Amino acid sequence: MRVHQLLPTFLPGDATGQSALHFGLLLRRLGLHGQIYAGEVAPQLRALASPASELRPQAEDLVLYHHGIASGLSSRLLHLPCRRGVIFHNISPYPTYRGTALAGALLGGRAQLAAMAPHVQLAIGVSDFNSRELKAAGYSNVHTVPLFVEEARFTREQLSAARLRRLQGPPTLLAVSRVMPHKRFEDVLRLHSEHRRRVPDARLWIVGGYEPGSAYFRGLERQARALGGVEFWGKVSFAQLVAAYRSASVFVSMSEHEGFGVPLLEAMAAQLPVLAFAAAAVPETLGGSGIGFTEKRYNVLAELVVELCQDAGLRQRVLEGQRRRLQELSPEVALQRLRTALAPLLPTVPARKRPAKKTRPRVAMVVQRYGELSGGAELLARMVAQRMAPHWQLTVLTTCARDHLSWKNEFPEGEQREGGVRVLRFPTRRTRELASFNSFSRRLYGHPNERAAEERWLAEQGPDSPGLLEHLADAQDQYDGYVFFTYLYQPTALGLPLVADRSIVVPTAHDEAPFNFEVFRDVHERPRVLFCSTPEEEALIQRRFVNHARTRIVGAGVEFPDADAERFRARHGVQGPYLFYVGRLEPGKGIDQLLEHHQTLTRRYADAPQLVLAGASGMTLHGARVRYLGRIEEQDKHDAIAGALGVVVPSRYESLSLLALEAFAQGTPVLANGASEVLVGQLERSGGGVTYLDTDSFIQGVRLLGEQRQALGARGLKFARLHTWERVVQAYREELERIVERGR
Amino acid sequence: MKLLGKEINGEALLEKIETRLRQAGELPQPGPGRAPDGVEPPVDPISFNLAALEEHADPTRPLPLATHRGGVGRAVLLAKWAFRRSCQVFINETLGRQRLFNGHTRDAYAQLSAEVLRLRAEVAQLRSEQAPRVAPAAADKRTPKQR
Repeated sequence: MRVHQLLPTFLPGDATGQSALHFGLLLRRLGLHGQIYAGEVAPQLRALASPASELRPQAEDLVLYHHGIASGLSSRLLHLPCRRGVIFHNISPYPTYRGTALAGALLGGRAQLAAMAPHVQLAIGVSDFNSRELKAAGYSNVHTVPLFVEEARFTREQLSAARLRRLQGPPTLLAVSRVMPHKRFEDVLRLHSEHRRRVPDARLWIVGGYEPGSAYFRGLERQARALGGVEFWGKVSFAQLVAAYRSASVFVSMSEHEGFGVPLLEAMAAQLPVLAFAAAAVPETLGGSGIGFTEKRYNVLAELVVELCQDAGLRQRVLEGQRRRLQELSPEVALQRLRTALAPLLPTVPARKRPAKKTRPRVAMVVQRYGELSGGAELLARMVAQRMAPHWQLTVLTTCARDHLSWKNEFPEGEQREGGVRVLRFPTRRTRELASFNSFSRRLYGHPNERAAEERWLAEQGPDSPGLLEHLADAQDQYDGYVFFTYLYQPTALGLPLVADRSIVVPTAHDEAPFNFEVFRDVHERPRVLFCSTPEEEALIQRRFVNHARTRIVGAGVEFPDADAERFRARHGVQGPYLFYVGRLEPGKGIDQLLEHHQTLTRRYADAPQLVLAGASGMTLHGARVRYLGRIEEQDKHDAIAGALGVVVPSRYESLSLLALEAFAQGTPVLANGASEVLVGQLERSGGGVTYLDTDSFIQGVRLLGEQRQALGARGLKFARLHTWERVVQAYREELERIVERGR
Repeated sequence: MKLLGKEINGEALLEKIETRLRQAGELPQPGPGRAPDGVEPPVDPISFNLAALEEHADPTRPLPLATHRGGVGRAVLLAKWAFRRSCQVFINETLGRQRLFNGHTRDAYAQLSAEVLRLRAEVAQLRSEQAPRVAPAAADKRTPKQR
């Protein structure tokens, strides 16, 4: 069974679109999969929603239609050959717009609301106020599922100090909404006028889209000019919105009609006192928090604003009440309400067959790519899969992609066996346009972002494989437990919530920009356990996600394959001392800096060691005494490591360096990027190498390797001998057994 | 006027502010009536759609000359008015067949919706007539086999 959502428009900054993404988040947490369809989809959001014309539900599916003003999709809903539901966001009051073109759409929306009533199996109001309207319009089976905000997106810490400094100033009122007559911005201006009489330099910021040519807006603009201190911000980025909430003194709403009032919650999340006219659903949304008022007596309200700005005790009490209200309207509360609403419509799932004590548990391992390919997390997944196969009935769920940059389908779709492991491959839906993706990523890094932006990033990051997610949702009775590899990709970020309570996640997290995206919160908070690779990774996760799942340091085991350095030298014609790196050759892995440091070393010292590079290359590799070997065989790799003066690990983004462990296993020391906490930790614990931060320390490190290669290598080898695969296998078995026991 | 909020003493806070205003020689301003909190009345879809079809069946009729824009918006209204005055005869000719079609659509909807209303009433009546037959007392008279 799929639960799809249908809405008239899916546009940036659109409140209905945001609520559809929030409902999508809740549905995933309920283990349900589905897509968003819209009558109009903004081109930049096509990764998140499909045109409504492509909606082809099956009879057992449920389509939830988000209803507001009149839309042709309402009629389409009545004829969809599936089960149907309505999510009602309310409709602005018709009398305010009598005589305008909008009036017909408002009244038509109400007529459509009543027309759909006999034809749907479920009606959801986003407030009790809306639910009362649904009942009045003839709906039965009405449930309230309140909207929510993601509090962590409104923290001050994510904003740049420069941005906040620019907004500092005198007491400021903030109103956030699209500039429409029923929002009564003329009343906001009257309050500002009274406030200015008391505080002459007071400011008013009005944040929200407006029509510059409309008579209503021009009237407001004239009044604002006369009053002074008013700024119309228009539509702003999410970071600007958060900065406005975080820099203003009091949030004010004079609206005569709100079906819920999301900005009230946003202000609460940003710890801004709320002062709101108690109309329609506003008292319900406030729930006794903030300050509501029943009459617009502007001089009284202006005095109240002054009180809120000057009386620290009053302000603190109001903020505490707002924090309480946010808890009452948390995503968890919405989840419980939605679970109750959907319960009668969900299929009766036959109880999952519990594995008998002596049978091997059925486990799905989810990883973005699988096979003989480069990539540390994928290699770790493969090594774990091969070692767990004797203990579990293991199925690897992965994509047909080989290349993580394009996600082009290269492996055949369907079931194969690889090295004794059952592998199910699903095709990807789109390839990645790297240049536009990188440009979009840069716009998101380092700022607070709205969910739509981060989910779009996730869709473009990929690999976008709907078949894999559908399998996870549909085949839940086929597996006793799940192991997800790497937090960073779509199969984990969207797949984990579907089966979180039976999952182990191996996040392989490191301190990189996307790690701060809120869209990865579920991955770190909802699984049964997080398997960290190092104490540094564990500490990073604990700092970032206060409510993280239980953590356990597991990492990888070390093997000690036979290696022959001379065989490597003979095969590739390598003579003299050399530094060696094998892995993905990309700027993101620090290869460009490594080449720079090595070229400086070569210019300064005639006897500088060669730099031998191997692996898949995504960049130009050239320079004096640089050798690029392309992809090499596994045995060739160990031979190369055994003969190297040192193995270089130049990446600053590491959760565990498998290459360093492989070097230790051959008694070869490591020269690693000291900007990576993980590498520093690995080398401090092992004593098997040295770190560098710049060219001078790189050269110093090479010199040290030359002088102390044997001693450093011996310490690394001793450390490696402590890290056995038996210990790793035991950890996976124990945690999976806990999951199975819980299900028995 | 009331101030609402669990964390404040609304009455005391209001009293404090009003006292301060009086001391400053300023009377608390009267506000409009209480905030509207009732739900909007539902709109019957059949009568709404019938009225809308009647209202808009004739495409040769001009839309009301109104705009929510100021400035240039007024000039556009004047241009529309001039266009209507000078070209109405061509508009009639161009949209003549559409007007006939819309009329048929309106009539068809009116007849079908009247039939829906009649059938709904008939179903309601049949249900009310049937109701006593499944009353518990009547059911008890059935033989075990019938049950």
